Amino acid sequence: MLKITDLELLVGGVAHLAAINASFQPGTLTTILGRTGAGKTTLMRAIAGLIAPDRGQILLDGTGWTRLPPWKRPVAMVTQQFINYPHLNVRDNVAFPLVRAGVAKADAAARAEAALARVGLAAMVDRRPSALSGGQQQRVAIARALVKKAPVLLLDEPFVNLDYNLREAFRKDLVDLLAVETGTVVLYASTDPREALQMGDQIVLLADGRIVQSGSPRDVFANPASLTAARVVNDPPINPIPFHQNGVADFGALGQQAITLPSGAYTLGLRASDIRAGGPHQARVTLTEVTGSETLTHLSLNGLDLVMQEKSVVLRSPGDVVGVHLDLHKGLVFGADGQRAGV
Amino acid sequence: MYRQKYLFLLPGLLVLVAIILFPLLFTIRVSFSSWDVYNPGLDWIGGENYGRLWEDARYWQALGRLTLLSVTTVLIQYVLGFALALMVWRDLAARRLFRVLFLIPMMTTPVVMSVLWRTIFHESLGPLNPILESLGIGAAPWLSSAGWAFAAVVIVEVWQWTPFMFLLLLAGLLSLPNEPYLAAKIDGAGPVRTFFSVTFPMLGAISVGAILIRLIEASKIMETVYVLTSGGPGTSTETSSYYIYIRGMRDFQIGYSAALSLTYLIIMIVALTVIAKLLVRALVKDAA
Repeated sequence: MLKITDLELLVGGVAHLAAINASFQPGTLTTILGRTGAGKTTLMRAIAGLIAPDRGQILLDGTGWTRLPPWKRPVAMVTQQFINYPHLNVRDNVAFPLVRAGVAKADAAARAEAALARVGLAAMVDRRPSALSGGQQQRVAIARALVKKAPVLLLDEPFVNLDYNLREAFRKDLVDLLAVETGTVVLYASTDPREALQMGDQIVLLADGRIVQSGSPRDVFANPASLTAARVVNDPPINPIPFHQNGVADFGALGQQAITLPSGAYTLGLRASDIRAGGPHQARVTLTEVTGSETLTHLSLNGLDLVMQEKSVVLRSPGDVVGVHLDLHKGLVFGADGQRAGV
Repeated sequence: MYRQKYLFLLPGLLVLVAIILFPLLFTIRVSFSSWDVYNPGLDWIGGENYGRLWEDARYWQALGRLTLLSVTTVLIQYVLGFALALMVWRDLAARRLFRVLFLIPMMTTPVVMSVLWRTIFHESLGPLNPILESLGIGAAPWLSSAGWAFAAVVIVEVWQWTPFMFLLLLAGLLSLPNEPYLAAKIDGAGPVRTFFSVTFPMLGAISVGAILIRLIEASKIMETVYVLTSGGPGTSTETSSYYIYIRGMRDFQIGYSAALSLTYLIIMIVALTVIAKLLVRALVKDAA
């Protein structure tokens, strides 16, 4: 088990990681989900030993790692950039960690070729990385990480620099490849909630260097503990609708659980998919984004900026007026402190 | 119509012929003459000079000495230059300081530098021997013993040209991408292993270039020997260039020294070509 306790890392007095406490079981894939700058890469680099934390411990099966240099840590890592050795051919690239670990060259080459066959690069073993496409280069890096059979595998947004179609295909391939790594702790950093919900056995939400929630993807998505967590786990981001409650009221019909709210200021978090066209509220279109087969329509409704998500391509122009329906009963209520209210 | 473009090459070609080809052809012709202080002129004596050269043990000894001197000095320069470049590679302040500091030996005229070193090496008046004595090492006959004189030439050459290696290799190091180093750390390679598996191979092409440039320059060594030892004691530090200079300019055997020069030129071209191919095969991965 990989355990992280009280991990803290300051850069120029600013906390890039703070109070990180988490444990990860072998054979599970945990998605570290957070927006750009949330601290995902910093956390991965701290685990790999590429940067030293100011406080806290990283333990694998009870053994402390904090003082170990990166080359002595049993970690494999794939980064956002397609990192390979430019002076080595593809086979030698993948065999590199094995040769460093003392595996005989012939054996290392054979194991490297087997790993390359698993990622679909069997025919390219003699090429240099520079002769491969970006996707193929990243497959080489993945093969090199897998061949090491390290107990901890860190995947830091490995497909972020690939185009959409390639990313979708690789994600599925990666899940298949990792299915056989039963004894490995796999951490997968991502900014894409859909990716996190599809891939992970568990999910850790990171914001401003802190873990804001963790659990199963379904639970975290259905019941975000805070507005911050709701913002991280929803893409497009959740629509915050502020309101004020006077007197205690039972909002049993609101959300999935019955809640009672005392007087105070609240925010109703409404997912973009819970706003539908064809309702009584007249909203003005400010922007339309067509992404694949979906349409995100940015709306202005009574001074509120909202995003509506539709599972079809609908072309609207800025200034158009569209009637919308808000499924308020599906909304999540958060208190003034940003925490989930009444749960 | 596009053939006219070759006309634009003509001026350059003419200059090239005038400054390279003509002297070379003239030297070839002179090498088949007996031109000396008594019989100046281009008489034809066939291959007599080349026959004499073949029997000239002093010439071949000078060539052997030059080979030893070139290989030794360039190897030491490469190792020292590489070590120094690695030391300051990651340190911006040190890099700036050493870059300026190391330019000084390179910019010093070899004759001036050799005069300075001759003073330093002076066995009774120079500062080096007292320093060695104070350190308990003892004085050395720097310029009066064959072995020590050879060592003195090596030291001066290394002192002057290590900065060249340093600057070239430092430029190479600074051009290396960071990503393979990150990968090497993750893949279990410590600093020493990273040097041999990542840095050294990635600097292969630059290393070959630097070594070859220095070998070409070292094979022409003349001023240092001339000022520091005058080829002595005896002929123990005499190199090919210096020997050719003695035969041509001191003994005025122009025909014979032309034959010596041409032979030396051919040997150097062949040797350096072979060395270049071997170095490329050994150090540059792309050549595999």
